[in-house]
Amino acid sequence: MRKERPNSFVIAEAGKCIGCKACELACFAVHNRDNGVAAAVGTVTMPVIPRLYVIRTDSFTMPVQCRHCENAPCAGVCPVQAIVQEEGAITIDEDRCIGCKACAMACPFGAISLYKAYSSGQEHKQPHLREQLNGRLERKTRVIAYKCDLCHDIASDGNTASGEIAGAGAVNNSGSLTEGGGGPVPACASVCPEQALTLVSPSFGASRSRKAAGLRL
Amino acid sequence: MTPNIDPIIHIDEELCTGCRRCAEVCPVDAIIGEASTPQSIDAHRCVVCGQCVQTCAAYAAENDPSLTSRAEKLRQRGQLSSVREPLFAAYSTGHAIELKEALADPKRYKVVQCAPVIRVSLAEEFGLPFGTLTPGKMAAALRLLNFDRVYDTNFGADVTIMEEGSELISRVMSGERLPMFTSCCPAWVKHAETAAPHVLDHLSSCKSPMQMVGSLVKTYSAELDGIAPADILSVAVMPCTCKKFEAGREEMNVDGLREVDMVITTRELAQLIKDKGIDFINLPDETFDSPLGKYSGAGTIFGATGGVMEAAIRTGYELVTHEPIPNLQLDFIRGDEGIRTATVQIGDLELKVAMVAGLKYVSTILEQVAKGTCPYHFIEVMACPEGCVSGGGQPKLLLETQRKSAYQARKSSIYRHDSNQKVRKSHENPAIIKLYKDFLGEPLGHASHHLLHTKFFSRSVKGEMK
Repeated sequence: MRKERPNSFVIAEAGKCIGCKACELACFAVHNRDNGVAAAVGTVTMPVIPRLYVIRTDSFTMPVQCRHCENAPCAGVCPVQAIVQEEGAITIDEDRCIGCKACAMACPFGAISLYKAYSSGQEHKQPHLREQLNGRLERKTRVIAYKCDLCHDIASDGNTASGEIAGAGAVNNSGSLTEGGGGPVPACASVCPEQALTLVSPSFGASRSRKAAGLRL
Repeated sequence: MTPNIDPIIHIDEELCTGCRRCAEVCPVDAIIGEASTPQSIDAHRCVVCGQCVQTCAAYAAENDPSLTSRAEKLRQRGQLSSVREPLFAAYSTGHAIELKEALADPKRYKVVQCAPVIRVSLAEEFGLPFGTLTPGKMAAALRLLNFDRVYDTNFGADVTIMEEGSELISRVMSGERLPMFTSCCPAWVKHAETAAPHVLDHLSSCKSPMQMVGSLVKTYSAELDGIAPADILSVAVMPCTCKKFEAGREEMNVDGLREVDMVITTRELAQLIKDKGIDFINLPDETFDSPLGKYSGAGTIFGATGGVMEAAIRTGYELVTHEPIPNLQLDFIRGDEGIRTATVQIGDLELKVAMVAGLKYVSTILEQVAKGTCPYHFIEVMACPEGCVSGGGQPKLLLETQRKSAYQARKSSIYRHDSNQKVRKSHENPAIIKLYKDFLGEPLGHASHHLLHTKFFSRSVKGEMK
């Protein structure tokens, strides 16, 4: 059955963010179990690839990430239909992605980045394209688009490192997000030492902002 | 012999975002700087515990053109060029490059010792669950790294109990210099010397288990193996960044030779194992070498907060009463961060003890000692939150939310290792009995004083300390 509720998203409060990057690190950790990333930093054999980005200006710092737009422009421009709406989140099918960058250009938030693809902790090489590296022709590494998926498919992972995330609340057992405020939250929000990140459930958020607006009158 | 002048703990200005989470965990307020600007470390005040290293999440982003190259950063940090993990702003000086070179030198006799908690955390660096116990694989890996002898700091922990337990009993009997503080945690010792020189007389004169093993490696075991002490390279694998500082202290030498030539952390050992391409997870178990590799359960539990106290009571009880202790497992002494106190009935003596886990909690006790109102006989102080299981050189976690369960699992693993040992009291360890019979004579005797005890010096600088 179609879901009536708008997509949830994670948003940061700039006033609370201290710029520690714990959210970026947590995001990377929970999304790379297949790349051998366990609990210890020492298990990491690839660059940290986050799906949210702590930005800094002269006056504030805060993480920016996907808003899971209802009419997602990234999905609209993807020539290979790799970007889909799935269980309350806009997600990228990384196997399908051709690295064309159209989504990154279409996104009004800069929430999509292109990085090398990894499998089992090693760069994922392409079968056909080659490039000059260190004076010889070598198979080119795949490059794909990465963005926040609201920790969409993390619940089923049973290794030691994921236990806490599920416990701290990423997603429920069915793999779908529950309401914000008390329910499970994505990894970035669960590790933030300043509680600067919140999972916003829009119906909840709208009524809260209407109330706040009313009080200001 | 040069004193160690490297401050060991550093904050990389290029990477620090000024979030000051390191300042929050620093127990001695040694991290200085405004929020949102790179922080620096007051080396005088810093106790080198490495908690900032454990907490820092500000990493070097891939391909950031404004940063010094990764290869250069690794070189500056003393880390092997094969290290692939992300680099963070807060880090400790590495010694793996130096050790790798030394291990390839056929002229040196390479001896290593490992702290009690390396075996409960090393496997995490290879993706195994928290607290996986791997003493056998660790011994095998160290041999593959080219060490000639694989010894154990746990043995030194047993020696420490013999010396420190005897010292405690003698002080309690004479009523002198009480309370007595443990002296195995180098970060606590540095803090006492820097911020509370008035308690230095109250510290046990024992060297730490690491230094005791180092001292015995260049005397007792050198003699047994027929090796010239000067040809020995004495290496320690520690959960602690401050052990690097301790090994470099001027007084830590035996007859002019350094007791411990080099200290690497748990993380650095894992990096060396990976660098050599050793398949750690599938290594068949091997045992430690004798005699400095034989240990009791009491030596094992040194790595958890309350462990030194529990080990000391197991032996102290029997030294005083000449009767077996009714219950070996002193659960009332075990616990978490903070101060815990207990009263233990030993014959006619009501021994009052306190365990401090986390250096920030020690100040009230230091004030009591200054006022002469401190009610305890014996106080264990561990600078890190839950003792060595949470040391600054231990595997660093990607997720702050897992810290508690990691420490919990490492601790249970230590206690499980103890309860599975046949010998659980230091004074019943046959290798310890033999050491005293053949070499040391008796605890606190002449040889012990020469090799196993030390003095502490005030590092207080007038006008600098508030």
